[in-house]
Amino acid sequence: MFDLSSMTEYVPAFVEGFIVTAQVSIVSIIGSFLIGVIVALMRVSTNKALQFISLCYVDLFRNIPFIVLIFFSFYGLPEIGVYIDAFWTGCLTLSVAVGAYVAETLRAGIINIDKGIIEASKSFGLSKFRIYQKVIMPIALTTSVRPLGSVFINLILTTSILSAITLNELTGASKIIASTTFRPFEVYVFLVIFYGILTFILSGIIAVWHRHLNKYNGVA
Amino acid sequence: MIEIQNLHKDFGDLKVLKGVDLSIKPGEVVSILGGSGSGKSTMMRCINGLESITKGKIIVDDFDVSKSNDLREVRKRCSTVFQQFDLYPHLRVIDNITLAPIAVLGQSKEEANDKAMELLNSVALGDRASAYPSQLSGGQKQRIGICRALAMNPSYLLLDEVTSSLDPEMTAEVLDILKILSKQGITMISVTHEIEFAREISDRIVFLDEGRILKDLPKDDFFSESGGKSDPRIARFLSKMGNV
Amino acid sequence: MYGSDGFTIYDIQLWAEGLSVTLSIFLISSFLGLLLGCIVGLVRYYRVPIIGKILMMISEFLKNSPVLVQLFLVYFGVPALIAFDMTPNLAAIITLTGNTTAFIAVIVISSIEAIDFKQLEAARSFALSERLILSKIIFPQSLAIAMPLLVGLAINQLQVTSLISVIGVIDLTRVGDIINQRTFEPFLVWPIIGATYFIMAKSIERIGARLERRFSAYHISNQI
Ligand SMILES: Nc1ncnc2c1ncn2[C@@H]1O[C@H](COP(=O)(O)OP(=O)(O)OP(=O)(O)O)[C@@H](O)[C@H]1O
Ligand SMILES: [Mg+2]
Repeated sequence: MFDLSSMTEYVPAFVEGFIVTAQVSIVSIIGSFLIGVIVALMRVSTNKALQFISLCYVDLFRNIPFIVLIFFSFYGLPEIGVYIDAFWTGCLTLSVAVGAYVAETLRAGIINIDKGIIEASKSFGLSKFRIYQKVIMPIALTTSVRPLGSVFINLILTTSILSAITLNELTGASKIIASTTFRPFEVYVFLVIFYGILTFILSGIIAVWHRHLNKYNGVA
Repeated sequence: MIEIQNLHKDFGDLKVLKGVDLSIKPGEVVSILGGSGSGKSTMMRCINGLESITKGKIIVDDFDVSKSNDLREVRKRCSTVFQQFDLYPHLRVIDNITLAPIAVLGQSKEEANDKAMELLNSVALGDRASAYPSQLSGGQKQRIGICRALAMNPSYLLLDEVTSSLDPEMTAEVLDILKILSKQGITMISVTHEIEFAREISDRIVFLDEGRILKDLPKDDFFSESGGKSDPRIARFLSKMGNV
Repeated sequence: MYGSDGFTIYDIQLWAEGLSVTLSIFLISSFLGLLLGCIVGLVRYYRVPIIGKILMMISEFLKNSPVLVQLFLVYFGVPALIAFDMTPNLAAIITLTGNTTAFIAVIVISSIEAIDFKQLEAARSFALSERLILSKIIFPQSLAIAMPLLVGLAINQLQVTSLISVIGVIDLTRVGDIINQRTFEPFLVWPIIGATYFIMAKSIERIGARLERRFSAYHISNQI
């Protein structure tokens, strides 16, 4: 019953779906990272207004289900004259939503930096910008590789929800395969294992990378 | 010239500095002594603007610490060596030293590197230039801390208990370097619990007590029975520090 | 133009029904998941051979694959395999329970392992029964450690319930979708649905904070 051999003709469709997943993931990882950095900097700034705005942002997007956000964008954006396809709607919404998690992760990395180190850089006359550029961000980013990795792995798993707005990424493609082959059980078991192994490999790479970068940081 | 006038510093309701007047001339080596909590660190932190001033004034070479436009100039002139070293953990030793000279003084990378290597060699750490701080011993870290401060060509070197995180052997290696420095004409303001060291290098001793200067005397006067030691609080402090 | 011509009074009723479906499925799957997760965690902790390993491997895959795919597997896949009359609601409960179980099991194990081993050895050397050790020593302390993790998980799982709308459960999200399709008012519908979830998440957070305080206090008083 558990038959995967007859499925070979669907490999190309599956691969195509995987490529879409990869593309959405890469674009959204970059997008959410950029948003996350900005929001994290707002979170730790001394400006009360920026603090408040960024706190609301983080609180909001971490407490509303992604599918609600994606439906909002998918149906809402055309209403305000933004006509982008499912792919870009997905990238945009993922970037905005995951940006909140990136921001919180980075913020934790920033506030955990030893205050003495920041004061030392201040005492030598480094400007605020230079302190962030040369001291705070490099330290926060290297110590955050692992937690940021988890956030991005979650992002990859979340891309599956884009199948609900007609994007044929990995899950969407598999859904089509499942219904044309009448073999949903095999297809979805395979898909669960596929995502699982993908996650496993990525976590491994991230863990190695984290250890490598933090070898000399004294915080690994 | 560092001019501290009627310096007050409060932390909320806690009055830590209650009117400190102190002036330090170029080339002077001044040691600040005083009991724990007397406000020594706070005073040092006020000098380079790490702590805001509640009342009073600090002028460094005509620049006012509490004016934000002047602060950068003050910081270029005063370099600090920290008790906990506070090296940048993510940078190699050489980059720890060259970061501020390049970013603040606008030195070229080569220029900064040459100077850094020169300094490293002078503290016998030339071979550790590409190590990371976590790979160094405490004494080595503090020698790097001194190099980092000196790389800015400061007019004033601020030292706040730079050996109190070190064991005796490492303390000696750091103090030896400071002793040499003190003879090279750099202005040094040093908070220390190493009385012998203070006695050896200082021109002047300032004794801080509960946020006020109790005594500000030339070294020999400070340690004489009729001078500093005539004050019971100082006598008690010195005997507690094992100096009779 | 937000003329609410399309909206009717029944939409409020629909909203309330969706909310109650979301809440019931959340509560049922959380409760079952907590129960099963503790069992799986203990099976693993006491190193029951083979079963423990297999259970942990399954929970790794449940933790590391999209819940949406798991829902498809249970709703479309399982009936195709064993000719079973699967309803969306049942599929939702099974999947979310399984998913919650996987996370709870990991929390259980890590919380037990966080307890000082010397303490357990001491207890065992006093010949306390394993049941007594579990209930008097392991459980209270683990709970204090696990509480913040459990609260975080609950907030996360609440959001995860929204995915069951995709397999046709008329939950809060599906209600939003239905009303949105009819009224074409995404700027009104989705913020309201979003706000509902937000308020629920914040309520869990608040209750969780209270529980955390309670159990950590218990943890401390237990130590003295
Ligand atoms: N940021 C701060 N907020 C509140 N109180 C502070 C702060 N920094 C220092 N203090 C208090 O100010 C007082 C003086 O502290 P300071 O560190 O200047 O003492 P010190 O003379 O350097 O002592 P030690 O020899 O122990 O280093 C202490 O009572 C300390 O608790
Ligand atoms: Mg001090």
